[in-house]
Amino acid sequence: MLRLPGTVDPEVARAVDSLPIAVNEFGYDAWGFSPERAKPLLSVAKTIYDYFRPEVFGIEHLPQGRVLIVPNHAGQIAFDGIVVAMACLLKANPPCWPRAMVERFLPRQPFLFEWIKRSGAVLGDPINCRNLLQADNAILVFPEGARGSGKTWDHRYRLVDFGRGFMRLALQTDTPIVPVAVIGSEESIVSVHDSKLIAKLIRAPYFPVSPLLPVLGPLAYAPLPVKFRLHFGEPMRFTGPFDDEDSAIDAKVSVVRDRVQAMIDDGLAQRKSVFF
Amino acid sequence: MARYLVTGIAGGLSQRVSLRLLSQGHEVIGVDYRETPPLAPPLDGVRVVRASYNKTAIEDVFRHHAIDRILHLGRIGNLRESVGKRFDLNVVGSQKIMELAAKYRVQRMVVHSTFHIYGAHPSNHTPILEDEPLRSGTEFPEIADAIQLDNMASTWVWKYREVPVAVLRPTNVIGPNIHNTMSKALRMPTIPHVAGFDPMTQFVHEDDLADAIVLVAASDAPGVYNVAGPSSVPWTKAIELAGARTIPVPAMLASVLVRPLLSLPAYLVNFFKHPCVIGTHAIEREFGFKPKVPLRDAIASTVREAREARQ
Repeated sequence: MLRLPGTVDPEVARAVDSLPIAVNEFGYDAWGFSPERAKPLLSVAKTIYDYFRPEVFGIEHLPQGRVLIVPNHAGQIAFDGIVVAMACLLKANPPCWPRAMVERFLPRQPFLFEWIKRSGAVLGDPINCRNLLQADNAILVFPEGARGSGKTWDHRYRLVDFGRGFMRLALQTDTPIVPVAVIGSEESIVSVHDSKLIAKLIRAPYFPVSPLLPVLGPLAYAPLPVKFRLHFGEPMRFTGPFDDEDSAIDAKVSVVRDRVQAMIDDGLAQRKSVFF
Repeated sequence: MARYLVTGIAGGLSQRVSLRLLSQGHEVIGVDYRETPPLAPPLDGVRVVRASYNKTAIEDVFRHHAIDRILHLGRIGNLRESVGKRFDLNVVGSQKIMELAAKYRVQRMVVHSTFHIYGAHPSNHTPILEDEPLRSGTEFPEIADAIQLDNMASTWVWKYREVPVAVLRPTNVIGPNIHNTMSKALRMPTIPHVAGFDPMTQFVHEDDLADAIVLVAASDAPGVYNVAGPSSVPWTKAIELAGARTIPVPAMLASVLVRPLLSLPAYLVNFFKHPCVIGTHAIEREFGFKPKVPLRDAIASTVREAREARQ
């Protein structure tokens, strides 16, 4: 359902109102998250969520309190992040609004970061992440980072290497990890080539080239109406020193990565159609 | 009852602090390098001495009065003087005062620094704590005197163990008696903001900061402490609380337009684009300090006179 920007979806409003968020007398937390000002933005996000008609499995695995939500990352534009976060808001019981950790180039951009900051996103800095976890927030991280979202068509549904940061933070703050497989996102915007030259020119981490570019022009970057399927896995808990050597952390990271990959493979096998 | 030496006595903050000390029965000697207008009761109990902190005359104050505690609040802001003069007063002068404090066996030294030295940066996490690197100097060398004063004072904590040193790094200080850049900005009828940026901003009311200084001064705990008021808000919310209109200024023109409008030093422009939210757990834990003035009242009291004059 299309909704004018600036209006508030009643379902979003109800969910946001029931969130356990600590804000000051003016309605802000220290990072600038404002549940009230987030409502119109999340209503736009719900329009995006509805566009992909997601089916959500296993959301009951989401624990209350601090949690790291770890999905695969793809699709050139972070629609997967929006859909996973909105699923937590609209389908989890009680509703949960995960804080997104954003790339370092974003806070320099006018307007864009201003808006997503009001919706709870923060700079993806380990100290921000630790502080938010210790305050019992849910956090959405994509350990594949920009390497994941920029992956080209021939690499779809093959996870690239995970970073180690999320595992160190999970160990340090004793936070469960919920693996998530997002099926559909990797076909939403098709990229056959990553143009390093243009990416460098616009100072972006990557620049996707669509095969439909000669026919559709800029419209080639409109996401296809693929159907999303989200599989939330059971929480994984890890113990050990957070400042252990990289190889020890890598071993733990691989367990999560293998789990997400297995869930992706299962999800793909179950799927009958990309669009329905 | 103790004898306090308070620097920067011509300024509003030092006078608020002195009022508290006098009412607690302490003796106050106020020093300033500037001419101090005659102080009205009840501040007339302050003995005022005009002396540059980096000249020999300052030692006479120590010779003639047995000073118990020093509140070095007279740091010179970035606009008032040239960088050379600021270096002489803020760095050389402060070092002189510290040496005299050790020589004349003063019991306590409190140094008023600023959160500006952390710098407002897009990579800043939230909140920033006292042991973190001071980023501002990498982009804005003109803040060097403030960084060096703070660094020097922080090393005194270890170097002069017989004089316990506490360094305070307050966020934006506002209040009816404060005439710094931020207070002046809030008093304008139309206040600019940088288009597309609206960083979380903190303030501390003069009364809260004065309370913090008096509390810290009475103790012997050394260390570096952030000081901030109770709430952080986006800059445009602060403008709203000041009852002013706002105009957006494109980021590219911010340095050209906002600086003259708000009469800002260059490094302050970033504070209207990026966050520098400081954490205050240390001062709360060590001294039990909690700010009392709500943000709404802090801003209202700062702008009241200017708004009434316009009506």
